[in-house]
Amino acid sequence: MALQEDNLWYKDAVIYQLHVRTFCDSNGDGIGDFVGMTQRLDYLQELGTNTIWLLPFYPSPLRDDGYDIADYTTVHPSYGTLDDFKAFLNAAHNRGLRVIIEMVMNHTSDQHPWFQEARSSRDNPKRDWYVWSDTDTKYKGVRIIFVDTELSNWTWDPVSKSYYWHRFFSHQPDLNFDNPDVFEAMWEIMRFWLDMGVDGFRLDAVPYLVEREGTSCENLPETHAVIKEVRKRLDQFYPGRMLLAEANQWPADVRAYFGDGDEFHTAFHFPLMPRMFMAVKLEDRKPIIEILDQTPPIPANCQWCIFLRNHDELTLEMVTDVERDYMYDEYATDKTMRINLGIRRRLAPMMENDRRRIELLNGLLMSMPGTPIVYYGDEIGMGDNIYLGDRNGVRTPMQWNGGTNAGFSFADPERLYSPLISNSLYGYQVVNVDSQRRFSHSLLSWMKALIKTRNSYRVFSRGTMEFLRPSNHRVLAYIRELGNEKILVVNNLSSSAQAVELDVQRYKGYIPIEMFGRNLFPRFGDLPYLLTLGPYQFYWFRLRRI
Amino acid sequence: MADETFLSDDLLRQLMSVGEVDLLVGILAHRSANTVRRAAHYVEKSLQQNFVRQRVAIISVDGGVAEDSGSDERSGDGEPGNNSNSKGITSLRTIHRVTAAFNGAPSPGLALRTILSASDLLRARACAVVSPATSSMSPEWVANLLRPAFRDSFDFVAPLYSRHKFQGLLARNLLYPMTRALFGRRIRELYSDEWAFSNRLGNFCLNEDVWHEEPVRSRPEAWLGISALTSDFRCCQVYLGEKPPPPDGAGPDLVEVLRQTVGSLFWLLETHQQSWLERKGSESLPTFGPDHAVTAEPQELNRARMFEMFQTGVKELEPILESILSPQTLESIQGIATVDQHSFRFPEELWVTMLYEFAASYHHSVINRDHLVQALVPLYRGKIYSFLGEYADASATEMEAVSENLCMEFERQKPYLTEKWKAGVEVKS
Amino acid sequence: MRVTIVQGLEQAYYNLVHMIAEFLPRLVVMLVIILVGLLAAYLLGHVVRAVLRLTKLDRVSEDAGASRVLRMADLPSMTELLSRSIFWITWLGFILIGISVLGVAGLQEQISRLFRFLPEVFIAMVILFLGLVLANFLSRAALLASVNAGIRSPKIWSWSIRFVIWILAISMALEELGLARQTVLAAFSIVFGASMLGLAIAFGLGGQDLARRALERYLGNTTKEKYKEPQPL
Repeated sequence: MALQEDNLWYKDAVIYQLHVRTFCDSNGDGIGDFVGMTQRLDYLQELGTNTIWLLPFYPSPLRDDGYDIADYTTVHPSYGTLDDFKAFLNAAHNRGLRVIIEMVMNHTSDQHPWFQEARSSRDNPKRDWYVWSDTDTKYKGVRIIFVDTELSNWTWDPVSKSYYWHRFFSHQPDLNFDNPDVFEAMWEIMRFWLDMGVDGFRLDAVPYLVEREGTSCENLPETHAVIKEVRKRLDQFYPGRMLLAEANQWPADVRAYFGDGDEFHTAFHFPLMPRMFMAVKLEDRKPIIEILDQTPPIPANCQWCIFLRNHDELTLEMVTDVERDYMYDEYATDKTMRINLGIRRRLAPMMENDRRRIELLNGLLMSMPGTPIVYYGDEIGMGDNIYLGDRNGVRTPMQWNGGTNAGFSFADPERLYSPLISNSLYGYQVVNVDSQRRFSHSLLSWMKALIKTRNSYRVFSRGTMEFLRPSNHRVLAYIRELGNEKILVVNNLSSSAQAVELDVQRYKGYIPIEMFGRNLFPRFGDLPYLLTLGPYQFYWFRLRRI
Repeated sequence: MADETFLSDDLLRQLMSVGEVDLLVGILAHRSANTVRRAAHYVEKSLQQNFVRQRVAIISVDGGVAEDSGSDERSGDGEPGNNSNSKGITSLRTIHRVTAAFNGAPSPGLALRTILSASDLLRARACAVVSPATSSMSPEWVANLLRPAFRDSFDFVAPLYSRHKFQGLLARNLLYPMTRALFGRRIRELYSDEWAFSNRLGNFCLNEDVWHEEPVRSRPEAWLGISALTSDFRCCQVYLGEKPPPPDGAGPDLVEVLRQTVGSLFWLLETHQQSWLERKGSESLPTFGPDHAVTAEPQELNRARMFEMFQTGVKELEPILESILSPQTLESIQGIATVDQHSFRFPEELWVTMLYEFAASYHHSVINRDHLVQALVPLYRGKIYSFLGEYADASATEMEAVSENLCMEFERQKPYLTEKWKAGVEVKS
Repeated sequence: MRVTIVQGLEQAYYNLVHMIAEFLPRLVVMLVIILVGLLAAYLLGHVVRAVLRLTKLDRVSEDAGASRVLRMADLPSMTELLSRSIFWITWLGFILIGISVLGVAGLQEQISRLFRFLPEVFIAMVILFLGLVLANFLSRAALLASVNAGIRSPKIWSWSIRFVIWILAISMALEELGLARQTVLAAFSIVFGASMLGLAIAFGLGGQDLARRALERYLGNTTKEKYKEPQPL
């Protein structure tokens, strides 16, 4: 299956996020690799996702799970070779799967040759590739992001006897984008991968590219200027490739990263994600409606990316204090589950392994406006291990079967890069791809059907959204519309059965057809449309006028 | 279980949308939409600040408001407003707003019954009722009322107000001491516009078949309070703050007030006689919250006219008072009515005896009961005249001692009432 | 001649015996009817008394002020009064039926006339009684209202209302009985009309200030300070 030519393909994408290390080990060293991943591409195709987002696979000291990059133009030897990657990329493309990779523009590892050079001497040509200062008082008041581990954004370098700036870990010095050479170097790196055929980049930590005294050093106009230049060159030389922004900000602030359609193609909608969890716990649609009501419109060629979970903690930066406390008390009662300002748990454990809630949240993910991202393992309901350090509890090996090492690797279990989940509830013996493939009512089978239905109608990916606001606040209902295609989505956010009357007088005469069973429902008339829903149940109705 | 049949379809539909709640606040009807809006704003603010995680609903009893109404009090999504705390996020949960609409102002009994029914259907753990007419209401009032019922498992929460010594004279001189002496519980403000109750008490009251009785229709809070005091319910009082007098001309006149309050008190004595006849002494109720300083200025009153109306009443109502009072009591009252107004005093002993004879006569229906209560009005005026004169310069501490003495007098003479209550009708020719 | 006298005496004796023989059974029937009536009246009175006690009529009567009227008239309670009335009316009815069985000429017609008049008497008594009760109740209400409103000479209002209702009740009772209908109607109209005219003149001319103040109070345009009640609650 060849990739279709469509510069707006990212709007229709269903992205599968994974780390090559976690997926499949082909050579028995206990670490997933590209060869193994290539072997498992059929699975991703079968699932229905059409885009793969790979977490960093570059050579790195791995002190920040690969986001501390020591070499941008090759593959970490644990994951294979550059040829392995190329083979993987081709195989993916042959299956109609696009691939986007990480590009960490903001900083490098302190082991990167650039930094080694820069710190070696104040006169080194690459000195100015990083942000240095003789004191740690510059850019006072700028917030620290990794509050659990860092005390300052400046760290003393004993080699060059000066401070260097870092918004993340101290071993991740920030690049200086005021130096045009830095930009050009990064562009060359991007070109390297683009020439190889990757379909896009997720640009990590973009708000922090540029610093200016007296500001928050976030979202500065100069940062946007950098992005615009990247986008300009991309459109010129690599049309149809995509940029995805990682900007953990309020929607109004993220809006700037779309520019006038001349910056990022896509950006994560961070604030929506915790509110979906909140709404289900509160049994109230208010958090979702509120955040989407204040989400500004974006250019026609842009798209939000929405997700439930990812490789990081479930961030609670973009919520109020009251909301954060609530989320902690409801979803992270054990303080071990909390890290930085977030919760390091997977979807299924947060839903207490309640299949109905898992389905409801995935239903929301697939029906709300935006490109959905599925985090690896969530499609089978994998569990987590909160006793592993950092956020490693949500990065455990993929569970393929109930056999040795869950089919992830044939190495000795002690050699695995991470212990497997093996408890009686989420253990690989119980939760794995093989067993779920066998029966049609498994979560995996259900996810396939869900994604397939979503992919069948472009209205989900490109349509408008309008909330219906029935008086029952436990029901979230909206209409997706694209041209003549209209879909009514009704979600019961509560644990008890609900009745709801929908004001659909505008759609009088339309026949709702339930999309999974394809059954006809009574036609819309003058009166409010009465629906009843079981606990956590949702409907997708296609509205036909015949 | 609530009797849903008297609830309108529209209200039921609104309640269905709300679902189960933890807290319900009822706002009584008022003719001015602005006043209702102000009350609703305070209630909402209180719920947002003090009950962040609880599922809450506000029910407004609407008897048709003035033309300036523009607010939509139907339940709707919270919208970013002046009380938003961050990026337009107003509160964690939706605060449901429900309106119970009536054609014309409903009686207080019907309003309370509606609120009780809503509370029952919504399975609210605690419910508070507030009146928009209270101009001094603040968000803290609502929270102070709800907390004991919601968090501390009290079933009935009565308010306590900080009052000027010459405010609330009927409560101070009659309602409080009589209720205390007879029912044995020291509840100061039984006839108030704000109170709270638990769902246990609410369900109990809802199932009682008294809603057609006039005292319950006009003063349901007294019946609710007495029901709580005389049954197995935990009761308490909370300080709310100052309660300024209503603006001139607002509220019912004295005759109507006495008919409602004293009439319902006498009726409650009748219906709950098993609870108070044999009871002795009185107990305090748990009381929460600090007292507040009084800033309101006392009203200016025409005392001379008050005395004149007392004298006229004693003289002109003699045939009626003969049916109600014993000859000795009537003679004593007639005696003091002839005294010069500057040296007039209405002795507390006589006041209590007189009231008890009224109560007993009410029980025996010596005359039409409504007429009996009306006959008390001029005598009450006399007592108040005496009270205002005697304690014009008294301090707050002295006033407390005066109140306590009066309460003890009521308690001391209780056997007299008991005896008269149980006796037969005295036929007067 | 002696034979004729004897025959005449014998004839008269036979006639008398025959009359007595005819009359006696009717007398016995009459006595039986009266006795049965007594029993029936007693039972009915008892039943009515029991029913009225169940419905607490005495309490209602107290509330309405009717019991006071009865006491003033040295009558027993309402329940007792009604049950005794039922007793006497029932027995009287049986007595009259018994008397009619006797077959005395002329008596039957009078009895039937009496029967026809009885309902009207009863209704007239009821009208009068209700009138008395209503007058008592409303006059007391007026007295209380005017005393509590601070109106001067409250007894005038009270007695006026009592007087008017009494006149009305008496007129209606007399009309019901059909006694001097025209006279009663004329007299009532004159008295009632004159009273109203008198009151209007007195109020309008003599009580101009009072009328003005009452209207002002009603329409809420008073410029003078109203009597302020201290705050009761």
